[in-house]
Amino acid sequence: MRIPFLSLFMSSPFDGLQEHAEKVRECAWAFQQAVECHVENKCKSFEELRQEVIRLEREADIIKRRIRGHLPKGTIMPVDKFQLFMYLREQDAVLDAVEDVLDWISYRVEPGIPEELSKDFFLFVDSTIDPIEELSKMVAEARKYFESFSDKQREVVKEIIRNLRHQEHEADKIEHMLKQKIFNMEMDPVTVFHMIRLTEIIGSVSDHAENAGDMMRAMIAK
Amino acid sequence: MSTEYIILIAGFVFGFYMAWNIGANDVANSMASSVGAKAITVRQAIVIASILNLIGAAFIGSHVTDTIRKGIVSNEILNDPHIAFVGALAALLSAALWVSFATWKSMPVSTTHSIVGAMIGFGIIAGGFKAIQWGKLTSVILSWIISPALSIIISFIMFSIIKRLIISRNDSFDRALKLSPFFVGISIFIVVLSFLFKTPLGNTLSIGTPMAVLIAILIAVLIGYIAKFFLKRVKKNISGDNGEGIFRYIQVGTACYVALAQGANDVANAIAPLAVIYFFVNTGTVGDQVPVPFFLLLFGGVGIALGIMMAGRRVMETLGTKITHLSNSRGFCVEFAAATTVLVASKLGLPVSTTHAAVGGVLGVGMARGMEALNLRLVYEIVFYWLLTLPAAAFTCMAIYKILQFILQRM
Repeated sequence: MRIPFLSLFMSSPFDGLQEHAEKVRECAWAFQQAVECHVENKCKSFEELRQEVIRLEREADIIKRRIRGHLPKGTIMPVDKFQLFMYLREQDAVLDAVEDVLDWISYRVEPGIPEELSKDFFLFVDSTIDPIEELSKMVAEARKYFESFSDKQREVVKEIIRNLRHQEHEADKIEHMLKQKIFNMEMDPVTVFHMIRLTEIIGSVSDHAENAGDMMRAMIAK
Repeated sequence: MSTEYIILIAGFVFGFYMAWNIGANDVANSMASSVGAKAITVRQAIVIASILNLIGAAFIGSHVTDTIRKGIVSNEILNDPHIAFVGALAALLSAALWVSFATWKSMPVSTTHSIVGAMIGFGIIAGGFKAIQWGKLTSVILSWIISPALSIIISFIMFSIIKRLIISRNDSFDRALKLSPFFVGISIFIVVLSFLFKTPLGNTLSIGTPMAVLIAILIAVLIGYIAKFFLKRVKKNISGDNGEGIFRYIQVGTACYVALAQGANDVANAIAPLAVIYFFVNTGTVGDQVPVPFFLLLFGGVGIALGIMMAGRRVMETLGTKITHLSNSRGFCVEFAAATTVLVASKLGLPVSTTHAAVGGVLGVGMARGMEALNLRLVYEIVFYWLLTLPAAAFTCMAIYKILQFILQRM
């Protein structure tokens, strides 16, 4: 058989991007449960949930490497290859940040989070869940845009990006408020350091989600 | 039985084999976008391709062939018709050998290029380097670069138009329907023109060029609107409310268009050398140009059709499962560009490869940002095998020519 036509078509990097985004979305639930588990201070399944996130991160890494390794020179795509890579890096950074949060918690599980802050922490984690889940939707909608190039579809993607930006801003506000509270509590310095750093890493999750959105904005630029 | 008849029989066998090969391998490349975009099933592809390749070969295929394809080899060596006669068989044999080897090794070579390479080999061995008309050869080789380029340009423009005017709009279904007579019309226009120019049918009708163009326009407009009438019945809710549903139906038409163009273009690869042998056996001479009787074109068409039916299924099933993400509007652009390029080139007398035109069509859509990922490596591969095919077929032809001459002298 000689079918030159066939070797022209290669597996689409958008398939991989979508798959990767699904992994990111899957970890949102485990992430939320794990942090809540830590905050509630009487939960035993933290380590299990952390392992779940580590597993997802490893799987996502394989997908990421597969995408990067299978786009030879001169691949024709609707977007620039390096734009795609930059987007992928940010999407992957979301998952890395999630893993970092759980790792950081695991270094010092005791004494946990003081009661008066637990509500704020719940709120804070919740505010980062939406951006994480939004990514897979954004990739799916962007693919639809590259299928039809319609302005309507472009607007759908742009709306998601705007949402991401807005959600990041909201998360930022909670982060500032939390930091202020932490510094003004009478606690031992090590706990303060652990909690401040924890707040920062949780905050970085939605930062990376927003960056991913900005990269997507560049990809769908006319 | 005299030697001449043995050679004629050998010519028929190898001519048939070449036609069979075109059907088995090359047709898949031209039907790929239809099957890949799920516009037609594998079974439908086989039926459409075999019937329309046959029609294209028999009715649009060139009924006059230059003795040594497209005058690459100077006519002086034809003073001895015996040389041309043996050369034609050697060319046919060596091209068949090279194509079989390529099929076995899965190399993307073109049947058209193989036969041209073999002809060059024959020219060199029979008349030396001075027998090759380098000017003509250059123009043939240029056409191999120009035809994929033309295909790229056509599909790029076509997809850009479709993108701008149809699929990016909110009312893409209605817009696709509104513009459908235009898309169907141009295909029909080119098909009708090909039927009217340089075919026995066109000659019997003896219509002048302006008249032919007028007739083609009228038929194109008529069929375009008839197509629209039928497309209107496509329920929006069945095909979804984007324009792709409309293109899915139009693509059935372009699949026919491709098959027709391919039959018309490729039949000469198998039949031209056979026609020389046949003419010599019948008349004892060989002129600059040799008429190709209708039954030979039909014979080539049957060979192609049998190749499709016997081996095409397996190839097309592979295509159907491997090519995903090809929407109907894109498939339409690919096929339209490929078929138009091939039909125009074949009417201009340029031996171009259908496969390369199809590859050009895909690249054009890709350049208009219409494909999720295309591998350009194939383009380098095609160029590499293109450069390899000419000398490979030429050297094989030289060897076979010498062997044949040796055998015939003893007989």
